[in-house]
Order: sequence, then structure tokens, then C-alpha cells
Amino acid sequence: MATASSASAAPVLVADRLAKTFAPGSGDGAHVAAVQGVSFSVAAGEMVAIIGASGSGKSTILHMLGGITRPTSGRVLLEGVDLAALDDDRLAIIRRRRIGFIFQRYNLLPELSLVENVALPLVLDGRPERECRERALEAIAAVGLEQRAEHRPDALSGGEQQRGAIARGLVTQPAVVLADEPTGALDSTNARSVMRLLTRLVEDRGLTVVLVTHDPAIAAAANRAIRIVDGLIAGPDGESVSQ
Amino acid sequence: MTELALLLRQWQRRPGRALATVASIAVAIGAIVATWIASDASRVGYRALAESIEGTPAIDIVARAGGRWEPSLAPRLVGIPGVRAAVPLVFRPSLLRAGEARVRDVAVGLDAAGLAEAGLLRLTAGRPCEGSDELILSQRLADSIGRGVGDEVIFFAKRGVRRLTIAGIADPQSLVSFTDGAGIVLDLAALTDLAGTGGLVDRIRLVLHDDASRAAVVAAANGRLPAALVAQVPPGRASMADEMLAAANLGLDFVTALTVAMAWFIVGNAMLMNVTERRRSFALKRVVGASGRQVARSVMTEAGLLGLVGAIVGILGGLVAANPIARNIAAFLRSPDVSITVNPWLVLAALVLGPLVAIAAAWWPARQAARVDLLEGLANVPPPPGGVPRTLMLVAAGLWCLAFAILAAAGAGWLPARAAVPAGIATLLAFIATTPAVLGPLARLLGRFIPRRFGIERGIALEQVLRQPVRTVLTTGVLVAAIGNGVGLGHVIRDSVDDILGWYSRALAADWILMQAGSLAVQGDASPSAGQGIMDAVRAIDGVAAAEPLSIVIGSVDGHACLLVARDLPPTGRLPLDAVGMSDEALRRVLEEGGVAIGTALARQADRRLGDEITLAAFGRTLRLPIRAVVRDYMAGGSSVFLTRTTARRLLGIDSVDAVLITARPDAAAALERPLDAIARDHSMLLQSHREMRAMMDRITTGLVGALWSILGLGFVVGSLGVANTVAMNVLEKRRTIGLLRAVGMTGRQVSRLVLIESLLIGGIGSLIGVGAGIATALFIQLSSQALLGHPLAMSIRPTVILGNVAAALAITAVAAWLPARRAIGLDLLEAVSAE
Repeated sequence: MATASSASAAPVLVADRLAKTFAPGSGDGAHVAAVQGVSFSVAAGEMVAIIGASGSGKSTILHMLGGITRPTSGRVLLEGVDLAALDDDRLAIIRRRRIGFIFQRYNLLPELSLVENVALPLVLDGRPERECRERALEAIAAVGLEQRAEHRPDALSGGEQQRGAIARGLVTQPAVVLADEPTGALDSTNARSVMRLLTRLVEDRGLTVVLVTHDPAIAAAANRAIRIVDGLIAGPDGESVSQ
Repeated sequence: MTELALLLRQWQRRPGRALATVASIAVAIGAIVATWIASDASRVGYRALAESIEGTPAIDIVARAGGRWEPSLAPRLVGIPGVRAAVPLVFRPSLLRAGEARVRDVAVGLDAAGLAEAGLLRLTAGRPCEGSDELILSQRLADSIGRGVGDEVIFFAKRGVRRLTIAGIADPQSLVSFTDGAGIVLDLAALTDLAGTGGLVDRIRLVLHDDASRAAVVAAANGRLPAALVAQVPPGRASMADEMLAAANLGLDFVTALTVAMAWFIVGNAMLMNVTERRRSFALKRVVGASGRQVARSVMTEAGLLGLVGAIVGILGGLVAANPIARNIAAFLRSPDVSITVNPWLVLAALVLGPLVAIAAAWWPARQAARVDLLEGLANVPPPPGGVPRTLMLVAAGLWCLAFAILAAAGAGWLPARAAVPAGIATLLAFIATTPAVLGPLARLLGRFIPRRFGIERGIALEQVLRQPVRTVLTTGVLVAAIGNGVGLGHVIRDSVDDILGWYSRALAADWILMQAGSLAVQGDASPSAGQGIMDAVRAIDGVAAAEPLSIVIGSVDGHACLLVARDLPPTGRLPLDAVGMSDEALRRVLEEGGVAIGTALARQADRRLGDEITLAAFGRTLRLPIRAVVRDYMAGGSSVFLTRTTARRLLGIDSVDAVLITARPDAAAALERPLDAIARDHSMLLQSHREMRAMMDRITTGLVGALWSILGLGFVVGSLGVANTVAMNVLEKRRTIGLLRAVGMTGRQVSRLVLIESLLIGGIGSLIGVGAGIATALFIQLSSQALLGHPLAMSIRPTVILGNVAAALAITAVAAWLPARRAIGLDLLEAVSAE
């Protein structure tokens, strides 16, 4: 089992011996062990980067942390709740209220305006329309897009769309924001701008962020980095650590 | 922002997708509306056709023991639901003289003025007769004696001779409902006075409304009658119409039910494609916190709204489409009265049905949307290959069990013939549900017919067809329903017509037929000596090869009205009767030994089998006799009893000649017309040529078949639209794949070929399964028709019907694929590759 130490504050998120094996698709019919028993914890207000090469299993770990996919074995504890033990509906509620997602390709719904996209998790949660809008505008202001609130995604630049996606990740005041290559689709200027924004939110608002990246420069902005090699946490020398 | 607002935005952004779904629903609902209206129009047309042959639907009140009775209860009978009028009738044989012309015919006494006022008696000239010195003649009779309104004739009756004035000329079509073919009508009081019947009548005829149930009226009337009287369906008159309507209604019910099933497949397919195309959107919603239930609910809401819009468009389209279809049916039935009536309840039902069908059809897609794999959805990769869902196989097994259970129950007589409709639909759905299990082998088999040089396109097309079995099943389901419908009903129609025509050519093989006018009503008055005179006169004509006398008498078997037919059997050759499970020789033997044979439908109605004893009542006598044979028969709808004339004379004293079948020597048929016409006039008989009778049969069968084909054609058009829409959406859905193929070098022509091959594969699979489903459906309907006819129809596989349907299906699929194929070539590569 691979482990990585957590910060001293109480952990918000715990990965406990997480493993994920994908069923065979075609070809030789062999199972693919994408993640092979990874454990680490993330404290409140911490920004943790999970880094690794393409295909190392870092995104799979993030998806398990967010309840997008279930681990083959192991547990994910979010604020003490084991996500793997929840049924689909309860998992959806946790995602809606306690987790914010930021994707590489922004993933804003093209038919909705920015404010409507940002408000979506609140709308799904059945909050009053006025509250949804007010909180969405607040989150949009936090990422500096007040003037673009009513625009549709196709009228926004890549950097603006990603900031909009960050606003959507913030709007429910989640316990943790999970970012999958948040700068992967951006040019260097926009990438720096987005990272500055994330860092500021962590510092100003005490946001907890786990981000996946293959870029050491981006990882450097985090409080801590966990390197993944072949589905395992790598030691200081870059080799996989296993028991 | 509400869920509705989100839906509206999605529709605004991708109107094509929403419109295609609405179009599917509109086609489906339009088809239901049009089929429904056309079926109603057909029913009206069939009834009109039946009435034109046999008169308006009616029930007769007669004395149980025969004889006349006092008709004062008539007003009470009008109050029975479904009864339009109660008409007391008196029948008397009479002689009419007009100049040198003498006509023996039955005179009928009735309230002509009242019937004319009620629109039941139509006069082509003059007015209804009133008082004791007027009469009405049928147009045919008036023409034959050369007399018109205002002319005088001499009427010979029991109490002497009277000079009467022709007050009016009646349309024979409307007269047939009351006179059973007789052409002389007098006022009821006048005829009872002239005949000396003392105000007594032979029967009261209850004229029914079009939608009345004969059985219900008979039951209600019998509840109000004194013990000496009984209500019964006039035998030999209405039952054929009833059977004809019942068989046609069965077909129409089946087509309507099938249209609803087809609608479900069309809408289901459209919704599934709609949902598949939006996997990324659903996945994103799920990731940001939507529960599976919320996603499913949004799909169902969307389906309901699109269903409502589609229903409105479909209703309008259906109303427009119904008009030419109903006119076509009217033309087939030669019925000017077939008109479109828009039932507000139908419109309301369609408005409700649209969203309901859409929501029901969206159930599976909604489930898929709720279960979309979040990672794959977000990555916008095509859905993974789907296996054969176990649920679907369980559904298929359940449907097979249901179909066979219904069939077995119908075969055992526990369920009515109408059970053929759910059984047929269950069979069809069972075939469709079983499709995934045979999809692979069938697709690969058909793939072999595609030329080798199109190997790449064939390979990709096969992969596309097999990748999502449920999707393919829904697409082929539309075709299977259309082809199953065409092949199934096509076989039933052809087999039924052949059965009727086969019976006709066997039972009434003659060049000419002489029939007593109004004979059924006054049988007791026919004299044997008159019959012998007729036979002698006929046989004396040069050119007559054979003349066979028939006695036809009204009777009953165990209380069920029937026609008693006494005829001699030819010494050699084929018998005019077709026994069930018995050779001609055996049938000849039992009849010559004095046995009786009963029609299949009568055996079914009376629940009697070969060897059972029946109580036969006729001519005032009641006998207990064993059934020695059961014969296929359409005379009186199969409610008939057959015996030889010798047996009829011995057992019942029947020796009348009510009809004569005359066979001419070769090339002498035409020459017989004049001498036979003279005999007909002398003996108050009607003369009909084989050609006229055949024309009447053809009119019935052509009308029935044509109308059913019209509605079947509508089913095919609906199927075509459904397939066209499905194929178009198929291409729309595969924009990304097609874009990628184009990006890596596939030529436009190859793409177009790929779309065409895939469509033809789907068409081929649908055709093969549809043919199987159609034959099974035909088998089910024909086995169930045993309950209707009393005997199973012989089923034969008809290659022309099968090939016609398959060719039409493949042509439709190919044409339907052409436009999407053109679109596929024209796709913007960048847009296609980055398609949401």
C-alpha cells in the first residue's frame, strides 16, 4: 500500500487504500489496475496537487475522491462519510453540496448563461430561485466575471470559461474542490491567472483544493504534491512505494 | 431558472433534435388518429355495404309456435335501447295484374307513411300508400310490368279482387329491409283486411341503430315479451353481415392496436437517440449533483412536453390524412355515405395519448440517462457496446407465454375471437423483444450479401448495428411492426377471400339461380305441386344440363335461429358441401342415410359437436336428431342445417322449391336467360345469373379487401416515416463518428454507402423478423377465427404477399437513408468531431 502524510489539521478528505481495476475491454482480456491501493489525507484549507505522467492513475484517483467512479476496493472519507457506502442518490447529494468540480474542458452547459451554469448545483438542490441567483452572482464576482454573468459559454474565452467553472465549484461552499488539469486547455497566461485565482481562494476563503496536473510548475503552487507512478504513490526518489 | 426553462434552452439550441422527436410523436399520433378515423369510416362503410345487400340491421319478434298474433306491444318495444323503430309486418302471397302482365309476388303490409317519415323507406316517385285502395311497388317490379305512379293494377287476395292505384315507387334497396325481396307493399290495415287476418301480424321487425348490439337488443326484447313470442336475429339475412362486420372489425382492431405499438417504437427510438446524443450533458448534471432520479425526471418531463406538442401536430396531420384514406375506402366499398366524423373524445384521447406514449417510450431512455457513466459521458465518448439486457429477454419470454396462453384459451373457446388482437400484438412484440438474441447471426448473414469491395463500409455498418442491440431493436421494431402487419393481415385477407370464394364456387356452382321472392318469410305457404311445376318447366328448356331444387326454410337448433337447407346430392363428383374432418364419400353416405349436417358457426353457437343430439324445430315440428356431420358454410354465416330433400320430406314434410340451381350445357348459358326469365315471372321468382352473383360476391370481397389494404397501406406509410425519421436521427447521432471517419480519410461516397448499408442491414433484419412475426400473427388470427367462423381457415404461405412487403420495406429503408446519407457527406468536419 502506498501512503502520503497529511498536514497537521483535521483531515477533510481521506483516501484509504484506494484501488481501481478496470474490466477488460478487448484484446488480451487482461484487467487494468489503474490505482493500486493509495492512501493519503487532505486537511481543511490545504491545496494538494496530485501529479504524474499521462496514464499514471492520477485522474482516476480524483474521480474516486469525487464519487464520480467507485473504487474497486478501499474507502474515500469526506468529512468522515464513506462515499463508497452511499447509494447513487445520496452520493449525488454529497456531490451537489460538499464537492466542487473543475474540469480541464470547463464543462459548462452551452444552453445556459454563465450565471445559470454557476447556479446549477443550487437549482438541483431545490434552493429558491432568488437565492440561487444571488449566490451564483457572488461566486462569479469572486472570480472576477461580474460583467460576463449573462453571457453564454460560447461567448466567453477559454480562461473566462474556466473561471466560470471555478465559480460553479465554489457556489455551494463545498468541503473540497477537485480540479482535474484545470489549466490543461489554457494558454500560459490564462493558466497562470487561473492558478493565481485558486491560490487566492485557498488563502482568502480557506478553500480545500485537490488538483490533478502533469505540470510541475502548477503543482508548485500547491501546499503539497503527491506523485503518482503506475497507480501508486511514488517515494521521494520517484520510485513507486508499495508494501 | 427552472427545469422547463432549461429544456426550452436546449430545444432552442438544437431545434433539429427536438423537431425530429416531435415529428416522430406527430407521425405516431397522426397515424393513430388517421387509422382510428379510417377504421370508423370503414365500419360505417361495411355496415352500409351489408345493409345494401341484406337490409338495415334488425331483430324480428315472432310467435314461438308460428302463426299470427296481435301487435299491440309494438310501442313498448321502441323504448329498448338501440331500437330505432318497431314495424309490424304481414306477408301474403298475392297475384297482381296489370294489363296482360300477371305477377305472383308476396305482398307486404306495413305502415308506409310512418316509415317514409322516419327515413326508413325511400320512394323514388310518388308518396306512401294510404287507405285500402293504394299500394307501392318496388322500382324493379314497376319497371317489369311497365306501370308508374297513378296507374291502376288489379290485386287478387283472399277476400276477392280489388283495383288499387300505385301511390308510389320504392327504392328496392330501402324496401329490402322490410319485404325480404318482395315488391308489393300495402298499408298494414288494408292488407290484414284484404287477407282476412283480423288485424294479426306475422312479425314485428325492430329496426336497430347502427351502433346497436343485436345480442343486447334480443336479450332486452325477450325480457319484455310474453312467453308465446320470441325475439331473434332474422336468419339468412343479417348473420352474414354480422360475420362480415365481425371479421372486418377484428382486422381493424388489430391494425389500430398495431399502430399504437408502432407509435411506441417510433417514439421510443426517437427518445433513446435524443438521450444518447446528450450523454455529456446528463453526465455533467450528475457530476454537479443531480441525482439519477432528477435526470430521469427531466427526460420524462421533456418526453411529456414533446409528446403534447407532437400530439397536437399529429392530430391535425391525422385529420388531414384521414380524409383521402376514408374517401379511398368509400370508393372501394362503393359507399357514398362514408364520411369523416371527428369524435371530440378521439381528439381528447389523442391529446392524452401523445404525452403518455412519449413518457412510456421514454422510460427506458430515461433509465439510460440516469445510469450514464459519468466519465464516459464527460469525455463524450460513444456509449459502450450494449449487451442483450436480461430484462428484455424476460419480457420476450413473458410475451411468448402470454401469446400462447391467449391462443390456447381462444382455441378452447374460453376467450372470444377478439382475443386474436392482443394475442397477435403480443406475438409481434415477442418477436421484436427476441430480436437481440438473433441480431448477431442475422446481421452477419445479411452482411454476406454485401459485395466484397465494400468491405470497410460493411464492417463499420455491422459494428454500428450490433453495438447497441436495444437501439437496433427499436429501429427494426418499427419495420417489424409494419411488415408483420402487412404479411399477417395480407395472409388473413387473402385466405379469407379464398375461403369464401372456394365455398361459393362449391356450394353454388350454377350458371343461373331461380329464387323465390320473399320466400323465407312465407315458407309455409309454398306448395309442393308448384315446386314440381317449376322444376318441370326448367328441365323442359333446351340447353339445361342440370337443375337442382333447393328447399330453404327458417328453423332453429336448440333455440338458435338457422336456415334449413334441403338439397339433393349429385350422384358423382364433388359434393356442394365441405365437411370438417370427413371425406366427401363419408358425408354423402351419412346424408343419404337420413342424417343431418350443421354449419360450423351454428355448431359453435349451440356448443354442439359431431355425434351430439340437437333439437331441430321447423315447419311447426320439433325433432331430436344426432349431428352426423359438420360442414364449412357461409350461407347465413354458417348458421345452417343441411339434409337431403328426401330426409326433409320424411322428417319435416318439406317439399317446396325455394331455389333452383341451373347448369347450362356448354355455350348455352346465355340462351337460357329468356326462358328462365319467363318462368321467374310466372312463379314470382327472381332470376340471377352466376355473373351477377359473382359480381355481388366480388363487390363484398373487393370492398372488404380494398378497405383493409388501404388501412394497411397507412400502416406502411407510418412505418416508412418512422424509419425515415429514425435513420435521419441515427446519422445525426453519429455525427462525431462520421466526422472522425471523414477526418481520417473516408470519402463522401464511402460515408454515404456506409449509411445506406447500415440502413439496408436494419431493413433486412426488420424484414426477416417481420415476415416471421407476420406469419405467426396470421396463424394466430386464423386459429382465433375458428371462434368466429366455427372452422379454422386453411392457411397457405403466399410468396407474393411476403416478397411485396419485404421489397417495399427495403425500398423504403433505402429511400429513407438517402437524405441522411447526403447530409452525412456534407457534415462540417470540425463541427462533427467536436459535436456535443
